[in-house]
Amino acid sequence: MKGRLFFVLFIAILMSSSCRNSSNKNSEFVFPEADSIPVGEAEKLSTEAIEEISKNITSPVEIANLLQLMAVPYSPDYLASSIDANKQTTAFDKALSLGILGADLGYLNMYEKTGTSIDILSSIRKLAEGIRVGQFFDFETIKRLSLNKSNLDSLLFLSIDSYTQIDKYLRDNDRGQLSSLMIIGVWIEGQYLATQVMKEYPDPMLRDRIGEQKIILNDLIMLASPYCGRDKEFNSLCRNLQEIKDVYRDVRITYTLGEPESVEENGGLVIRQTETSVVEMTNEQLAGIIELTKRIRDKLILNN
Amino acid sequence: MKKYLITLLILLAAGVLVKGQASDPLVSNCITTAGPGSKYLKDFRVQLGKASTAGDLRYKAQMSLWKNTKYRFSMCNSEDSKGKLILTLKDDANKTVFSSFDQKTGKTYPYIDFTCNKSGIYLLNYDFIDGQQGSGVGVVSMVK
Repeated sequence: MKGRLFFVLFIAILMSSSCRNSSNKNSEFVFPEADSIPVGEAEKLSTEAIEEISKNITSPVEIANLLQLMAVPYSPDYLASSIDANKQTTAFDKALSLGILGADLGYLNMYEKTGTSIDILSSIRKLAEGIRVGQFFDFETIKRLSLNKSNLDSLLFLSIDSYTQIDKYLRDNDRGQLSSLMIIGVWIEGQYLATQVMKEYPDPMLRDRIGEQKIILNDLIMLASPYCGRDKEFNSLCRNLQEIKDVYRDVRITYTLGEPESVEENGGLVIRQTETSVVEMTNEQLAGIIELTKRIRDKLILNN
Repeated sequence: MKKYLITLLILLAAGVLVKGQASDPLVSNCITTAGPGSKYLKDFRVQLGKASTAGDLRYKAQMSLWKNTKYRFSMCNSEDSKGKLILTLKDDANKTVFSSFDQKTGKTYPYIDFTCNKSGIYLLNYDFIDGQQGSGVGVVSMVK
């Protein structure tokens, strides 16, 4: 009888832990004001709202895709190679580095640079284990897909899904500060990549993408705000994010109106948006963004 | 007892094997349907019971979409789903950009290719037609 009870309990635990998390969401979203986020408001953010904010951060895969469209060649110089996973002592450093290297992994995956991505994967593994989230990263499968070069989509899915699961786990377990650090790390490295490429290969599309980051800066600050008073490291990071916000202050994004055009094609629907966003950013403003991004990103990776 | 232990070992081995694959076959199959030139970005797993009243689409999620990017929004349903998954995309002013369900004709589109020309945060609204019970996934990819 005892054996049967044990068996039933074990199966129940096994089944509940092996199911993919899914959520039924049924809430209204309030979009943040463009220029102000009181810290008190940020503290009141629900877990669900924070989860949504994290989805708004530009994926490094999208930036790498844009670089490929521009025919920008791959360069290892953009990577945060100086991060040594063994030297990360605090959870703050580990989580932030996990985000930075996650962005690098997205860049490497898109350019199918498998040799380097294996090195980065090893560092990611150590960092993830260091904050006890290694179980969400299927290193062996990602490594196999990376070496095979056969299925970029599966590789992207597994890499992105691992980060999504880590993010959710950290938030669900009251370790939201680490999740925020990871997301901020992803964004800073993606922004670094975009701005460094812009210096070497100026392009209007990339220039716009850099300017458009103003749209999500408030979200980024909101992610960090609840933890700004937590310790010296967080306080410094929050000041850095505020500096970035300041350098973007006079960048303007305007919109032109229009109705979407649609046409049926091969059983699907093709929509072309005629409404447009237009970035107004001077060369001086752009130079300021490039310089500040580099300074902050270098400081973060050299601190490690 | 021995019988149970053997069963447990088999189940554990199966669990390890399943972990090595994508965690949800519906998601991985749906990613495949997006086509060889597409690049996966995000997925939204939607599981809803029957709606008690007709109204707004119930599953809502935000996502930033960027100018000069062509996105593919694919919708896939699990075999046992009673309803068909649909998506309506709204911009940050709550203006509908597109819907995969044409209310006039009753036609649903399994995927939408959307060329974004206005960067911003968009609201994805998923539900099953007529608020039916269902299980499905929406996958967002980039296409050339």
